[in-house]
Amino acid sequence: MSTQTPVIELRHVDKHYGDLHVLRDINLSVHKGEVLVLIGPSGSGKSTLCRTINRLETIDSGEILIEGEPLPQEGKALAQMRAEIGMVFQSFNLFAHKTILQNVTLGPIEVLGMSKAEAEARAMELLRRVGVDAQAAKVPAQLSGGQQQRVAIARSLAMQPKAMLFDEPTSALDPEMINEVLEVMVELAREGMTMVVVTHEMNFARRVSNRVVFMADGQIVEEGTPTEFFDHPKTARAKDFLDSIRGH
Amino acid sequence: MSAHTTSMRDALYEAPGPRTRRLTAILTIVSLVLVCIGLALVVRQFYVTGQLDAKYWAFFAQWSTWAYLLEGFLGTLVVAVTAAGISLVLGVVLMLGRTSPIMPISVVSRVIIDFFRGVPSLLLIYFFFLGLPTIGLYLPPFWMITIPVSLAASGVLAEVFRAGVNAVPKGQTEAALSIGLTPGKTMFKIVLPQALRIVIPSLISQLVVVVKDTTVAYVVSYPDLMQNGRVLITTHDSVVSVYLVTAIIYILVNFAINQLSIAMARRSGNPIISRTTENPT
Ligand SMILES: Nc1ncnc2c1ncn2[C@@H]1O[C@H](COP(=O)(O)OP(=O)(O)OP(=O)(O)O)[C@@H](O)[C@H]1O
Ligand SMILES: [Mg+2]
Repeated sequence: MSTQTPVIELRHVDKHYGDLHVLRDINLSVHKGEVLVLIGPSGSGKSTLCRTINRLETIDSGEILIEGEPLPQEGKALAQMRAEIGMVFQSFNLFAHKTILQNVTLGPIEVLGMSKAEAEARAMELLRRVGVDAQAAKVPAQLSGGQQQRVAIARSLAMQPKAMLFDEPTSALDPEMINEVLEVMVELAREGMTMVVVTHEMNFARRVSNRVVFMADGQIVEEGTPTEFFDHPKTARAKDFLDSIRGH
Repeated sequence: MSAHTTSMRDALYEAPGPRTRRLTAILTIVSLVLVCIGLALVVRQFYVTGQLDAKYWAFFAQWSTWAYLLEGFLGTLVVAVTAAGISLVLGVVLMLGRTSPIMPISVVSRVIIDFFRGVPSLLLIYFFFLGLPTIGLYLPPFWMITIPVSLAASGVLAEVFRAGVNAVPKGQTEAALSIGLTPGKTMFKIVLPQALRIVIPSLISQLVVVVKDTTVAYVVSYPDLMQNGRVLITTHDSVVSVYLVTAIIYILVNFAINQLSIAMARRSGNPIISRTTENPT
């Protein structure tokens, strides 16, 4: 596995927000088909790390490589690269003025140059996969949170991404809707999608992730397989954190 | 219209109790009586001063009077529609310039916006009417009124658009960028359409201002409603009746614009507004 070029690689990445050192010397590789779970206390820099990977946040120093190529800094090349990396947000961010179907076809039509008919056929197929094809003609506001998040996943998938980033995809959802979204993600992982997932859903992490990365204060403090990390955390910080989310 | 006002009231005030209802009823009657007295006094004053004499109103029975007013009305309409079109486009351009990451563009746009917003439109009209000819530039009257009115409106519209763009949640931009749209496409396909819906009410008030601004067209002798009204006044020596009729026409036009805006807001704004009012299915 390590002989292959990683899909995503971060080398010595540093970032500040003013005086705040949010990312400290981050080194991380994600290989093809790998599911990496990012976990850590609030404010530890998980979202920031996730967002630097498709340059929604810039970095101060270090390098980010996508399939061995440095992340473009601007223009068409950057847009092209972003199209190849899906992103799913905590707050869904579906385009509020477009129908569900249009949300999914916009990227393929505008970015990939696909014909409307083909984009719609593929979008319907994806919506069926995530179980919201019946809502295709509605607008996002008419859907439940769980449905909206599944549409957001379909919207990303429509771009046929090389990898997908999920930033706390279930933490804005009512408890009864969390599973329907996690199921879609489990399915994706099974199909071999390369994924970086910021989440505190331990069951999800145990079921599908290959590696758990624990962050605190902008640093990667510990990483390991889900079993290693959840059952035998090595550092005191990880132990404290796990205790706190388990409600001890 | 009533649906809108009620919902607005509901949002601002709590449901009235019995005492409030009684008080509201009393105040309604009192204010109605006061309005009637006021109107009666006006009519009486008109009568006493002879403004209701037939000679001041008889020419309204002639078709030619209305044809002339209609001609003026069309003149106003053409100027207003053209100015609205120009200022919408220019407003968007200035807003894009103002929000540009390129410093000089942003600064220049800002100066232009503040200038057009700050200078009274009458002064701009005088500039085009009296200023430009001194350097040998003669514009047809139509453009001498339309350009300054457009410029004045575009400054305000640029700021209206900017407020609208800022009101679109940041997540919309991020989602658009993350599927590979360029910043330009993100603005035109995702942000602007939503910003427009947010600012429709301000846009309409600005359209009303444009219509009102066109009334100074007489300065450049462009035959708009106001100018033709003034001609009628001279011909028939009757100030009050003509101004009254003209005012009513302006009020009707702006009322129509308002109704149109409400209908538009209902149609296009629904999906966004319903986010809070409709239950997920
Ligand atoms: N745009 C910004 N400007 C300044 N500070 C920021 C900005 N975005 C994030 N921060 C700060 O950077 C730190 C890391 O934020 P980040 O959102 O990456 O944390 P997180 O691990 O995702 O936390 P959470 O679990 O709460 O989402 C926090 O202290 C946050 O306040
Ligand atoms: Mg976060």
